Amino acid sequence: MLKAVGGTALAAALAGCSSLIGAGTNQDTSGEVSDVPDEPIQAGLQTFTEGPAAVLGLQSQYGAELAVERINAAGGIAGREIQLDVKHEADAYVENYTQFVSEGKEVTFGPVSSGGHAALAPEVEAQGVVNVSTDGTVTTLYEETVPDPTYSFRFQNYDVMECVSAARETVNRLGAENVNTVAGINPNYAFGKDEWKVYTTALQKLTDVEIVYEGFPDLLADDMSTHITEINNQQPDVTFSSQWGGDVVTMMNQAAANNMFDNTQLVGTVLYSAVNDLSQDIVEQAQAFSGSRNYYWGEPEPSRWSPGQKMLDDARSKWDIIPSGHFMSGYGAVASWATATEKAVNLLGGWPSQEQIAMSLEGHGFFTPAGYHVMSERHQGLSTTYFGEMGWSGDVGAPVLNDINSYSPPDVSPPPGTKSIDWIESW
Amino acid sequence: MSVLTNFITHTLHGVQYGFILFLIASGLTIILGILDVLNLAHGELYALGAYVASSVLGYVVGLVPPPTDAASQAVFVAVVLGGAVLTAAVLVPVGAAIESVLLRPIYDRNEVYQLVLTFALLLIIKDAIKFGWGPTPVRLQSVYSGINGIPAASLVGLNYPTYNLVIIAVGAVVVVGLFYFFNRTKTGRIIRATAIDREMATAIGVSTDRTFTLVFAVGAFFAGFAGAMALPPTNATLEMGANPLVLSFVVIVIGGLGSLRGAFVAALVVGILSKWATWQYPPAELAAPFAIMAVILLVKPDGLFGTWGEMDA
Repeated sequence: MLKAVGGTALAAALAGCSSLIGAGTNQDTSGEVSDVPDEPIQAGLQTFTEGPAAVLGLQSQYGAELAVERINAAGGIAGREIQLDVKHEADAYVENYTQFVSEGKEVTFGPVSSGGHAALAPEVEAQGVVNVSTDGTVTTLYEETVPDPTYSFRFQNYDVMECVSAARETVNRLGAENVNTVAGINPNYAFGKDEWKVYTTALQKLTDVEIVYEGFPDLLADDMSTHITEINNQQPDVTFSSQWGGDVVTMMNQAAANNMFDNTQLVGTVLYSAVNDLSQDIVEQAQAFSGSRNYYWGEPEPSRWSPGQKMLDDARSKWDIIPSGHFMSGYGAVASWATATEKAVNLLGGWPSQEQIAMSLEGHGFFTPAGYHVMSERHQGLSTTYFGEMGWSGDVGAPVLNDINSYSPPDVSPPPGTKSIDWIESW
Repeated sequence: MSVLTNFITHTLHGVQYGFILFLIASGLTIILGILDVLNLAHGELYALGAYVASSVLGYVVGLVPPPTDAASQAVFVAVVLGGAVLTAAVLVPVGAAIESVLLRPIYDRNEVYQLVLTFALLLIIKDAIKFGWGPTPVRLQSVYSGINGIPAASLVGLNYPTYNLVIIAVGAVVVVGLFYFFNRTKTGRIIRATAIDREMATAIGVSTDRTFTLVFAVGAFFAGFAGAMALPPTNATLEMGANPLVLSFVVIVIGGLGSLRGAFVAALVVGILSKWATWQYPPAELAAPFAIMAVILLVKPDGLFGTWGEMDA
């Protein structure tokens, strides 16, 4: 069976362009390949489709679905379309993956959860079907949990990147001499503790800051007032938070009700994940500095960057949402696997094995509407990180990030072979 | 912030939390004390209240002008409270139907059947919520910020959300109302008498069927009311029923099973002590209510006002 390979079309479709300029796309795509199966590619995505975490999880699902739609519209990978099966992540990370494998899935994506990813990655290595996680960004995953991965990959920037970005952003905007005290409100699980540790370690290297309070409300806590009152009492120069989704809304609503924003500057890594749920009065009171992971729809300016405008238009028209970093994590996970697999098809002249796809993913560079990404040799995605001041746009009818700063991977992540905390300690 | 102001603010958080706990636990206590049924679906009735409130309250506050001056603020608060009562009223037929159709046939059977039935109801109500309102959280931020726009606490120099003061006031009214109902009204006394001796009550002409249906409906009403009051500062999620159910157990065990007075005292004790504990040692947040329960049960194994088998108000 011979099928034509539409490499440029696929890569261009995923980049959101009609044509591509730059590195990573100059393969010979005019040849033909043999040994390509007839049937569509069966792929599985586990994400949160319900409950509070669905605020992030559905964005990942929509992003993945948009990538699949574009791949299929461009003729698939070596002519093979992708069929995406979505499962609710729940607490069944390993079970979901195992079921996907037993159903014959050729690739799996997800999960969103950090704790879930730590449980899943060793199983991926054992079963040998490539998984590209959308998120699950805990720093220790490829430093301690699975230090030498073969089949497990992660598209999204990991915690150290957004926390070091947050620390640099804090100093850039406030000045090191004005950052003397810091407090934290972070979710009480692996991700929240990881982010607080990395942020404070980095901030203490950049300033003489003293930690005056650290509170860890449970996920989905409906009352954060005790932590907020203590921050009002301490009045730290900076309050750092890695709250996400619905917890951002609860925290910021209650912080506004207790006038917390008069007493401290809120800095958060993923406050913008609540973009679709925050109200104007709260956003304007807070004037918080927020990260947006490796994608912000307004950077570059949509009017000057048609792939960005197209993605924003698609997200708003299909799902009535402002796409967040989690939208890109779903999109990018699929895009990384699809473009790497296509590259392997071109090199091999046939359909690659799981191991060959994994090798192709290592060090793989590709475009999305968010720009250029690299899946590093360490299996960790490395992309530009975005940070800005949250404000309200009447035109968009939603929070926006103003005065954006971007951080390239070498500025906010350790060199290969160095653990994140060791790297920060060495500054 | 002065030491005293800080102390008062943290204590107010505890009192407010205690009243929310009491609002949730009161329905569970009433049903347990009178019907002798441990209703595992109580947390889901609370969640259902929050979801219904997102629709009902969302609609009724849209009918009045935004709260700007004193008059419009008073109207706004009244409409919110009216909406919460309306929300709770929606739960009344739900509770009545559960008792009369599902629970009544199995009163004479082993208690395990009641547990299995109410656990099944928990799952069914959760699915019904998902069907009705979708899989993602719902919010009602405008009510919270609208009421907080009234500068009540700042009149005495405190920085404290007015909405929380409203919860404390409403909780106090509910406490007084419930005690009055069970101690001073004929219906309340009949209900208590029915709980103590069902045969005697039947012999003097009381319809126990009707009484039990009424009690379950009242329990559902308070669960729904608590859900409606709890929604504005946070959001309603499919998982929101689990924590309140567990904390309600903590409260009614500390108070003494079946004692409404015990539930009230326990709710305030748990609310205030756990907020103080979190303030002094933030990592204690999750464990505090359970540690308080363990200590109290060591001293008083039957709880503070233990009255097994009869309703005590």
